[in-house]
Amino acid sequence: MKRKILGLLLSAALVATMAAGCGNGGSSVGTDSATSAPSSTEAVTLEFTQWWEPELAEGALRGIMDEFEAENAGIKVKLISGPYASTKQQVVAGAAAGTMSDVVGLDGAWVSDFVKQGAIANLTEIMKKNNYEDSQLASQIKLNNATYMIPVVNYVYPVFINKDLMDKAGITKVPVTRTEFREAAKKLTNTKNNVYGWILPLSLEAPNGIQNDVMSWAWASGVSMLKDGKPDLTNAEVKSAIEFVKSVYDDGSVAPGSFTMAEQDKVEEFTNGRVGMMVDSLAHIKTIRKSNPNLNFVVTALPAKDGYTGKRGMPYASWGIGIAENSRHQDESWKLVSFLMSEKINSKLSTTANAFPGNVSSKPDFTGTDPLFATAFDIYKAGYPANEFVGLPVAEQLMRSFDEQFQLLLDNKQNIDDTLKKAQAEWEKNF
Amino acid sequence: MITNSSIANKSKKSTLQSAKKKLSPYVYLSPTIILMTVLMLIPIVMVILYSFKDNVIMNKNPVFAGIKHYVDIIKDGTFHQAIYNTLYFTVMSVIFHFVLGLSFAMLLNTKVLKPATKSLFRVIYVLPWVFTATIIAILWRLMLNPNGIINYMLTTANIVSNKIEWLSSTQFALHALTYINIWSGYPFFMISLLAGLQGIPAELYEAATIDGANTVQSFRYVTVAKLKPIIVSMAMLDFIWTVQQFPLVWMTTGGGPIHATEMLSTYTYKLAFSSYNFSQASASAVIVLILSMCMALFYVKNQKAGD
Amino acid sequence: MSSKPFKQIITKVLIVIALLIGAVYAGFPVLWMVVCSFKPNPEIFAYPPSFISETFSFDAYKAIFMDSAKVRFFINSYLVSLLVTVLTLFVGILAAYGISRYEFKLKKPLNMLIINVQAVPPITLLIPYFSLIVALRLYNTYFALIFTYMVFTLPYAIIMMTGYFNTLPKELDESVLVNGGNSFISLWKVLVPISIPGIVSTGIYTFMQAWNEYLFALTLTKTNEMRTVPIGIQLLMGQHSYEWNQMMAMSILGCLPVLILFLFLQRYFIAGMTAGAIKS
Repeated sequence: MKRKILGLLLSAALVATMAAGCGNGGSSVGTDSATSAPSSTEAVTLEFTQWWEPELAEGALRGIMDEFEAENAGIKVKLISGPYASTKQQVVAGAAAGTMSDVVGLDGAWVSDFVKQGAIANLTEIMKKNNYEDSQLASQIKLNNATYMIPVVNYVYPVFINKDLMDKAGITKVPVTRTEFREAAKKLTNTKNNVYGWILPLSLEAPNGIQNDVMSWAWASGVSMLKDGKPDLTNAEVKSAIEFVKSVYDDGSVAPGSFTMAEQDKVEEFTNGRVGMMVDSLAHIKTIRKSNPNLNFVVTALPAKDGYTGKRGMPYASWGIGIAENSRHQDESWKLVSFLMSEKINSKLSTTANAFPGNVSSKPDFTGTDPLFATAFDIYKAGYPANEFVGLPVAEQLMRSFDEQFQLLLDNKQNIDDTLKKAQAEWEKNF
Repeated sequence: MITNSSIANKSKKSTLQSAKKKLSPYVYLSPTIILMTVLMLIPIVMVILYSFKDNVIMNKNPVFAGIKHYVDIIKDGTFHQAIYNTLYFTVMSVIFHFVLGLSFAMLLNTKVLKPATKSLFRVIYVLPWVFTATIIAILWRLMLNPNGIINYMLTTANIVSNKIEWLSSTQFALHALTYINIWSGYPFFMISLLAGLQGIPAELYEAATIDGANTVQSFRYVTVAKLKPIIVSMAMLDFIWTVQQFPLVWMTTGGGPIHATEMLSTYTYKLAFSSYNFSQASASAVIVLILSMCMALFYVKNQKAGD
Repeated sequence: MSSKPFKQIITKVLIVIALLIGAVYAGFPVLWMVVCSFKPNPEIFAYPPSFISETFSFDAYKAIFMDSAKVRFFINSYLVSLLVTVLTLFVGILAAYGISRYEFKLKKPLNMLIINVQAVPPITLLIPYFSLIVALRLYNTYFALIFTYMVFTLPYAIIMMTGYFNTLPKELDESVLVNGGNSFISLWKVLVPISIPGIVSTGIYTFMQAWNEYLFALTLTKTNEMRTVPIGIQLLMGQHSYEWNQMMAMSILGCLPVLILFLFLQRYFIAGMTAGAIKS
């Protein structure tokens, strides 16, 4: 009998907890959701989903939000931070279910897809409505003549060179042309000492190596992989850039493990002094210094094809920002965006993020930071930011399908013309 | 005939009882049925519907597309490779999960060691199982890196002369990945078999010995025979789960190099979250569902034969 | 005459050797994880790799304990996994009893359903599932995770418990019925106590599933107050760099309590002996 009562009690308790759980769930969604009805008398709480908070020093982003809240009474910001790798997936799911945050951090490669899904709002209209002077923005990511994303800060990708290895290999001059780069990579490579000239991450999980480490060779020589907004991979200039990368690979100057290597692995290899040169984000200067204070390295612009004298494109990645299409607080959201883009705050954010500002008049504060940032800023100013994947439809898939073809080429399974032809065909399907 | 007449002879009271008896299984199963219907059947039906429409999620008003997505997928060469890889990966994993699981379970069931020693070994043996796939992927990536500990030990011991790109060469990647999955999954078999082994009465072995059975025979006719229901269930479940293994594959190789480790799960994922083609991804999921269902049918049939 | 003890010694030595080899196979990668958790990040990639770090430090562990958000991940993981385990076992035992002890029309289709729902790749269910959870107003709650994990753990629990109950003679529960009890009593009073070994191993499995699940935990929650350890680990994988040592430390800290739990519950496997004795 006792057992029976116990059993009944237990079941009752379970039912009760389930019911309570559902009740809880209901109420918390009611208050958190971006789609809940706004109330003019109460404070507005904006949700801001991004992957930046864990990337920055602890409390840095929250501090900026606190400043915003102090300036804008009645608006509170709730930061929702996720891992970078899954932010995109979360936005897709959130937009499909109507639970997307009001303000979202964006990567240029995602914009076109989110616009197609109707997830992010037309910022041109919002700017017009709020009489915003958009000439202060360094760049805007547009689709069909409307802005959907604003780069808040930018990370450029110069070439990092290990100075000690360079001296040891008897290289006196930093490579400026492709030929010089290839020669340097050859000289730096010393398989006995486990040292390689270059490193090329081609992971298919995160295929942005195609953007930063491969296609960047074309952009650095002022070449475009597009023609009238359509893929143009088979042009002679793209071919020569790809041929160049292949030749360095065939020389045996590239560190092993390329085909599944990710950006993070690349940096660890360089930090440990096993790689002479890499194309990499400036964001890593701090990481490298922290990990290996003794590493003697320099940064330089990406080498161009021999004899090229024009401006050099420099690949970059942005922390972009956008506003949810279904947000009930678009005007308040815009206040937050324009706050982040304001001269003072943007300088501050770019300084803590070790990045370059998205506001034209902002200047990162180089005092007390690594002198290499100042060098890189000069390189940046001398060239132009180039990332043709930004705003393309299914940009990540484009990189991935190119990556697959490119791996076949490096593995000597197909020749260069077939590689580009097939990649071109794959890409055309998406335009 | 006999049952018919016996039912006819039953009193009112027993009819009530039999009605109650008829209802009771449903009462016992009702929480499961409710949960499964709401949280599993509905989404599955939605996925099936998606697979026949064009451009779901991305387009607010998708149109009917018929079996177009199925045709596209079945014609895709990458899909064929994914099926081959998935089968290799799954079959090898299940076989070795079983072999290792049973071997370790039998070793751990030995009577020659002290219980405390066995406890310690049991904890060590269960280790691979207590980590999330994310960390298993990260850990093995570190270890199998060209400059990782595995290559270091192999080259130092002169077993290989050059560092091997375990995960980045088309030649090794699939095997390396399968090895990782075997490592991370056998404890599941081991634990269940260990519980099963301890449920086999010692008298059965004694009887077998008296009947003149040798070690191999008593293994075959007592151990394996007694464990067979567990083994079949495990193998079937393991098969279904391994077919779907996603995080481990994605975070170690991303399906690469080229398509060397492309699985049905990574193939489907890329369609959904890289190409944003949710309809085609759904079609691919339905194909996986059908494949797994064949396995489940086989299992149910087998189970019936076992009874 | 002395050959018998000699043979026993040989057997013992062989078993110990085999166990040691197996332990290296199973344990070495975990040992490496432990080694890495005590290294500063750059040293994890040093070549030749070192076993005992020159700069051995607890920094990674400190960083986790000092961060209240990370501690919260652990609390969430325990709460969710424990509730999932208890609920799955409860609901699963009921269902298994129904299947094992009764013959009914829908038995076969239900059985098929229970097995087949596992056959759908979770990744593709993500979007419809997500919409459903939002519609049920469960988004970003513990119950979103608990119910979801139950859907994934229940089939296994039912299959295992049904198998276990099938091995127990029907006379056991019939004796209760004869004495005037009902089937519910016979289940909880008779069958469940002797099924403890089966229940424990099913429970451990359920706990592990819930503990390690990543995909749904990430999608169905959005604030740090609701997130679990696997997401905490992923949060250490930044866009530009990974906190390798912290990831290792976090996963070791996460597994320790589970291992202690396992160590403690092992004796219930031994209890399987008793169950076997009852059977024969």
